[in-house]
Amino acid sequence: MASVTLKGVKKIYDNKVVAVHDFDLEIKDKEFVVFVGPSGCGKSTTLRMIAGLEDISEGTVEIDGTVVNDLQPKDRDIAMVFQNYALYPHMTVYDNIAFSLRLKKVPEEEVYAKVTNAAEILGITDYLMRKPRALSGGQRQRVAIGRAMVRNANVFLMDEPLSNLDAKLRNQMRAEIILLRQKLNTTFVYVTHDQTEAMTLGDRIVIMQDGYIEQVGTPTEVFEMPANIFVAEFIGAPKMNMMKTRLERNGDSYTVSPFGATMRVDGEKCASLLEHHAGSTDITLGVRPEHIVLREGPAADAIPCTLEVNEMMGSELHLHVYTEDGSRLIVRVPTLSLSAERRAALTRGAKLYISFESRVMHFFGPDGINLLTDLKNVRTATSSGDR
Amino acid sequence: MKRISDLEYLKLPRYKRLAYKVASFFASIPGAVWGLIKKIGLAIAGLFAGIGREISDIVSTFVHGSAPTKISYVVMGYGNMARGQWLRGILFLLFEIVFIGYMILAGGHWLSMLPSLGKQGPTEVYDWVLDTYTYEYHDNSFKILLYGVLTIFFIVAFIYTWRVNIRQNKIAEQILASGKKLKSGKDDLHSLVDDSFHKTLLALPMTGIIVFTVLPIIFMVLVAFTNYDGTHNGYSNNLFHWVGLDNFNTMLSWTANTRGGTQSYAATFGEVLTWTLIWAFFATFTNYFLGMLVAMAINKKGIRLKKMWRTILVMTIAIPQFISLLYVSKMFAKNGIMNGFLMDLGLIDQAIDFFGDASKPWLARVTVIVINIWIGIPYLMLMATGILMNIPQDLYESARIDGASGWQQYSKITLPYMLFVTGPYLLTSFTGNMNNFNVIFLLTGGAPTNSAASSAAGNVGYTDLLITWLFKITTGPQSQYYLASVVGIMVFVVVALITLIVYSALPSIKNEEDFQ
Amino acid sequence: MNTAAPVKRHMGLRASRRAANTAIYVVLIAISVIWLIPFICILLQSFRVESTNEVGYVVPHVWGFDNYVNLAKTDFWRWYRNTFVIAICVAVFQTVIVLCMSYTLSRFRFKMRKPIMKLMLVLSLFPGMLTMIILYRVLADIGLTQANAVPGLILVYIASSGMGYYVSKGFFDTISKSLDEAARVDGATRLKVLVKIILPLSKPIVIYTILTAFMAPWGDFVFARYISMGTSKGMNVAVGMYNWLNKDQIGSRYTMFCAGGVLVALPVTILFLMLQRYYVEGVTGGAVKG
Repeated sequence: MASVTLKGVKKIYDNKVVAVHDFDLEIKDKEFVVFVGPSGCGKSTTLRMIAGLEDISEGTVEIDGTVVNDLQPKDRDIAMVFQNYALYPHMTVYDNIAFSLRLKKVPEEEVYAKVTNAAEILGITDYLMRKPRALSGGQRQRVAIGRAMVRNANVFLMDEPLSNLDAKLRNQMRAEIILLRQKLNTTFVYVTHDQTEAMTLGDRIVIMQDGYIEQVGTPTEVFEMPANIFVAEFIGAPKMNMMKTRLERNGDSYTVSPFGATMRVDGEKCASLLEHHAGSTDITLGVRPEHIVLREGPAADAIPCTLEVNEMMGSELHLHVYTEDGSRLIVRVPTLSLSAERRAALTRGAKLYISFESRVMHFFGPDGINLLTDLKNVRTATSSGDR
Repeated sequence: MKRISDLEYLKLPRYKRLAYKVASFFASIPGAVWGLIKKIGLAIAGLFAGIGREISDIVSTFVHGSAPTKISYVVMGYGNMARGQWLRGILFLLFEIVFIGYMILAGGHWLSMLPSLGKQGPTEVYDWVLDTYTYEYHDNSFKILLYGVLTIFFIVAFIYTWRVNIRQNKIAEQILASGKKLKSGKDDLHSLVDDSFHKTLLALPMTGIIVFTVLPIIFMVLVAFTNYDGTHNGYSNNLFHWVGLDNFNTMLSWTANTRGGTQSYAATFGEVLTWTLIWAFFATFTNYFLGMLVAMAINKKGIRLKKMWRTILVMTIAIPQFISLLYVSKMFAKNGIMNGFLMDLGLIDQAIDFFGDASKPWLARVTVIVINIWIGIPYLMLMATGILMNIPQDLYESARIDGASGWQQYSKITLPYMLFVTGPYLLTSFTGNMNNFNVIFLLTGGAPTNSAASSAAGNVGYTDLLITWLFKITTGPQSQYYLASVVGIMVFVVVALITLIVYSALPSIKNEEDFQ
Repeated sequence: MNTAAPVKRHMGLRASRRAANTAIYVVLIAISVIWLIPFICILLQSFRVESTNEVGYVVPHVWGFDNYVNLAKTDFWRWYRNTFVIAICVAVFQTVIVLCMSYTLSRFRFKMRKPIMKLMLVLSLFPGMLTMIILYRVLADIGLTQANAVPGLILVYIASSGMGYYVSKGFFDTISKSLDEAARVDGATRLKVLVKIILPLSKPIVIYTILTAFMAPWGDFVFARYISMGTSKGMNVAVGMYNWLNKDQIGSRYTMFCAGGVLVALPVTILFLMLQRYYVEGVTGGAVKG
């Protein structure tokens, strides 16, 4: 069982491109950490540096307190599952799983015991004599995991293991990985670009962009208190609505006025703003689509807008609306929270009035950083644009 | 042999697993042979059943058919024309007229001569005008055989076309009965670039192949059953005729035959075949492994000027083989540069006769194999480079994490992967090398001479392959075409056997497309 | 590589890597020399004036263009022209035929497809030389041998070229069939699909086919020799120059052979190096596909 510590890890390629900047992270023993971010953010590179597949340009990687920078991958006591599974096409499933054990000269009886045990757990016993090409995507994925399992490694690395599967299979395998983790009870480092995977699997999530860490935290933390606009937009789907507006302080009270609707900030948010000594300032106000409510009619604290598209998702509706100045917002309402005639009226061009409570507001300063965050070294990243 | 389940099999210790595999391979042979026999049997039965079906269909079409359909049985294309499909009808009719005309004017004659291959050879006749004896030609065995085969082709084609003509009538009646319209000539022409485009595309290539490959091969296979040679050339001199299996008896008999030197043909054939197989094996695998090594050396991380190294080797592919091979053969001659070089270095004090020393056949053979490496490596290097670059990098990364050393990565991943991917290539390369005429003929011409196997009918050398031997028999003083034909058939049998065995032993070859 | 980690081990790794690379360089240089030497020798000896025979040294004592000039006194340029004409014709027709064949077998699914491919396999197991005798006799009957060997050879080369469909079929197989289907849905005929969609995408394999078809006649020896039957007028360079190295001619023609060899090899090699990229694609693609 092992902890993994990265101290000031940097990756600079030959052409002077910096892929990872000063990466500091402490992964505790038996923790499940997910690196998540858009493609090219350096998450895979970091994982591969832990595995020993990439040279570490600067800084150190420690596994269980030992610096492993100069250790060969095989000596780092790690197991890894690759995005394309990396199954040896010319070997049977059995030989694939047994490969590392045989290289270690493990006696054949023991190899048999371990491989069949892993196959049992993963439900691939019937395919042991098949070649990888005769397997479906999900089965290949299981073989790849089985191959990592039998190594009994202290750290389990997974590089986008589910990205080649279709949506249904991905959900199923995600559940299986959670079960697997309970069985193996070891340290996991998991790389994905899918925030749903990150939220559901990780004890902690490391959100990365352009080689920098944007935020490290538990799923609840990053969801409820995103450190900056990038994280706020990256986590959650559909993504958080961002409204350019101004935060006005009058004594000990605050107001925001997005799109002409004046809303008072009260309750804990107000207390929190006071605690952080927030003054009047231009801000980006963030509100998640599911936190917006539809009002019956015009009101001083309601934003008037026009419905453009109504996406019926089954249990909920995604309403794409635009305000009077043309800004687009998304509203997510549970289907059954609206009466049938109300739903029938939600057609293109319908006038809507929306508002939200102050406890769901996120305030981002001009530099893009959450006004309420207590984290240090938060990057002044701006919007991720598209993702 | 008892079959065991996968898990039982995997539980066996390593040597027992191997033994099981070997045993099950041999145990599967009777089944495979039986399967093959059954398949052939079924195919024959299927053929007869098919013919039966065809005949009953032909009869029933006639019985139930309308008048134009019935007339089409005699006048091909009548039905088409009667229904307005003029283009098809005229083509059918034209084909029938040409066929009947040909059979009356020539085909019947050739066909009737085929069993005897001609009765009357050329005779000398006194020419009063020129006051000299001239030849008067009668039957020509060569032409009889050739046109006889051609006529049989033609008859088969006619029967097929006649059958198509009948089927078209049946289909046309069905279409009309269902109230739809028939295709017009314009539709037919349009379909030649659309739905039937494959027929248009294949017409020319297949005609070429049938006329210039299939027909000659059938002809030459038949020649093996005649005594066609330089003295029985069926043309200016004597006719040739059928001799049954005599030539095969000659080739496979162990009694010495004066035409084949002081040893029997069977012995010579055995020697040449053995060398051919040895040659093909080494020529294929030395090139394969060394070419792979060179490719890996050039592609290794940190090696600079990759493109230059590759170009130097690739350039040698471009230079026509007759130049390089002839030149190299002269380099290795007794008074060639190679000997001069070795003597200058003081490594030898007497010139080595690489290709001429009949007492050292293996010197010539090994030299040929070595020179062949020189020829083959650039090509293999190119191929291996392409494949090596196609091996997914994550296989190596995974292997490194699993603890494989550099050598283990090569032996457990690179090599099996290469063999796996290039299995079909290795097979064709092996058979290609068996028939590698250029290298042997231009380098040594078969030398050194194997005196026991050589005779007035032609030399046989220690580096002769079956294919160069075949060439020598053909072009030798006696032009024993019938023997060349027997050798050619033997080559076919050997190559086909090897192909069959490899295909059945390596299932991966069959599905090579799945692998990508 | 300036990490806080132990530096010593790093250097060890690096040094051993450098040693391995040095060894590889040595091997590569040796290989390059061995592979180039025969061609350098040919080039040098083609300029030798003092003797026309084989000699035990390489660098000429007296340099000159005599051998090249003397080529004009032989039939060399006629053979050269013959070969060139053959190569051009074969390159054109063979490419068309091979592409027709491979495109059809890759794209169409018709009843005779499998049987045709099986037939090709069986035919390829017969040694091609077997058919030489009858082809000669038939060509002789229609007067296309000896002095008229050039059209005869062209006919023989291109007639069976459909059998070499395998490599380009492998290439066509890699072009997605959905492209065909999209074009068909858009209303293109099969002919249009081939001309407008597939061919423009197949540049590498077309060039590969042309290149190999063009190069083959320069090296072909057996058929050319048999069909020209000793008539100088109908020979190609390979057959003609082969005779120069006979026992009775080598004394006076050896250096001329070298000069002729240079003249033959030069254009082919330059063309080849220019189109090398396509050749490599064909070789690797074909090998992987089988």
